Amino acid sequence: MPDEVLRLERVRKSYDKAKPTENEVLHSIDLVLRKGEFAALIGPSGSGKSTLLNVMGLLDRPDAGKLYVQGEDTSALDERAITKLRGHTIGFVFQYHYLLSAFTAEENVMMPLLLEHGRPDEAMREKAQALLGKVGLTPWRGSYVNNLSGGQQQRVAVARALAMNPPLLLADEPTGNLDTKSADGVFELMREVNRASGTAFLFVTHDPRLADRCERVIELVDGRIVSDGPRRG
Amino acid sequence: MKSWMPFEWIAATRFLAEGRMQTTFILIGCAIGVAVIVFLSAVLTGMQQNIIRRSLLSQAHIVIQPAEEVARPQPRGTPGGELAIVQKRAQRLLSIDQWQRIVPEVRDIPGVSVVSPVVSGPAFAIRGDANKSVSVAGIEPDDYNRIVPLPDKMVAGTWRLASTDVLVGTELAKDLGAGVGDKVRFATPGGGDVTLTITGIFDLGSRGVNERNVYVLLRTGQDLLNLPGGASTINVTVDDIWQAEVVAQAISAKVGLEADSWIRTNQQFFIALNAQTISNIVLRISVGISVALGIASVLVVSVVQKSREIGILRAMGASRRQVMNVFLIQGGIVGLVGSFLGSGIAAGALQLWQAMLKNPDGTPLFLLEFDPMLVLWAAAIATLTGLAAAVTPARRAAKLDPVVAIRA
Repeated sequence: MPDEVLRLERVRKSYDKAKPTENEVLHSIDLVLRKGEFAALIGPSGSGKSTLLNVMGLLDRPDAGKLYVQGEDTSALDERAITKLRGHTIGFVFQYHYLLSAFTAEENVMMPLLLEHGRPDEAMREKAQALLGKVGLTPWRGSYVNNLSGGQQQRVAVARALAMNPPLLLADEPTGNLDTKSADGVFELMREVNRASGTAFLFVTHDPRLADRCERVIELVDGRIVSDGPRRG
Repeated sequence: MKSWMPFEWIAATRFLAEGRMQTTFILIGCAIGVAVIVFLSAVLTGMQQNIIRRSLLSQAHIVIQPAEEVARPQPRGTPGGELAIVQKRAQRLLSIDQWQRIVPEVRDIPGVSVVSPVVSGPAFAIRGDANKSVSVAGIEPDDYNRIVPLPDKMVAGTWRLASTDVLVGTELAKDLGAGVGDKVRFATPGGGDVTLTITGIFDLGSRGVNERNVYVLLRTGQDLLNLPGGASTINVTVDDIWQAEVVAQAISAKVGLEADSWIRTNQQFFIALNAQTISNIVLRISVGISVALGIASVLVVSVVQKSREIGILRAMGASRRQVMNVFLIQGGIVGLVGSFLGSGIAAGALQLWQAMLKNPDGTPLFLLEFDPMLVLWAAAIATLTGLAAAVTPARRAAKLDPVVAIRA
């Protein structure tokens, strides 16, 4: 379908393959994410959420099954092509911000563009400034990220994830490390970006409060999708 | 961020600046290594050149001599038989046959700069009760002065010689209790006996030489040593002292006489110089390796520390090559900056060395040359060493799996 951003077909993933300790983490997952969706991925610890996110984010390859990104089959792509596709189509936000401490907030946001084009230019700077404006951090754009609060750092991470205008943003417990107020702020920010830009969001969360505020909630238990539908209540 | 800088350079310099303490330590380590290499090289080169310069100051680069006399055993007893034991022949003081013809021939050989005939042999210098054994050299001063710069070495009187004049060294003058204008009798075992006037006293920088060498005109020497019209050796200097042996062989081939270069006559000295050079090379390599290992270990630690950031960069689209280059550039920068710091330290240490170690007369012990090329070489080699040291950490960084790195 034209508005499909990501499609998984019978995706399997094991760890310790061909060893006595082999453990299948994902069992034949079928999943489609569409443009503009705002979905939560929930499930108990060890259910395979992060593994699924890594596979969807092209950070890890499935052992079996197919993964399509914007209609393109990724199974035949080599390392270089995967890296390029990942850079262009998928933004990441992690539980810990993983910003580069040697760089300012603005430079961190510019980083995906810098990696793509090789050298910094004014257009990149302007884009980073606009994104920082969007996440409410214009006054801190010149600050080194270690001088920002946890909530601010996560906002910078969201801005950075949006730098390449990716059609999909994957977030692994982006609010897991924040207090309730900051967590709400980051969540609302993602929601606003989703509404304004149509970027699809899939984020892993343990927080039922936030999951309930999503349009779609996918529940994973023992590597299988046990429910997938609109928010509860 | 400077717009002319590529990502790899920006990241490399930022990472180095961020790990300020680590970077400072490794730069100091690298600088000390380079300083040791540059300093030792300058000292050893200066010392060797100084020794060579000094030892060549009072000797010719090549000495041409008459062929050695050999005993020719006569057959005795049964026809065709030879004696079982042949005593070696004692070497007489001989003149080079037709030396007047040979001198211009040698002068024409490429690489030869000065040719000067000399007659030299033993004599006694007698003054009052003092009786000293000396080596008399009869010279043609205008040519000979271009081999041994006697005018520069005079401490009293003049170097100009007439047929009744003699130049003596400072030690001999002291032993004989004689000064400029005094007369000294010279006698040889062959019956030569002449009284000469000291016109000048020289100091050639060696006690032995100052004690034994005396210079007279060639003709006076011929008379004293009983070699009328003869020259016992022909002294030669060459344009390039390191080519002396090659030129000596060319002379031998052309004139059919034995020609000994300073390189052959000072073989022990050369072995010592070579040993010094080899030990210097071993030292340089050892210091280079320890610097490389220092850089490598700091970068390995940096890769471990930054593995999450590397993982994120990879997740954001950084290629393996970009990540690898970031660490290679760090190694190269440490090597380059360290080498310039080290060269600066070495230059300072050499200045200090020159200032502190002086001859009794206040002149530097020996002239140290700080070769700018050495700095450029050190910079190039240190940068390459830094790059080579960074290869392993850089490959390790490039191989990091983003998932593993982020989860680490």
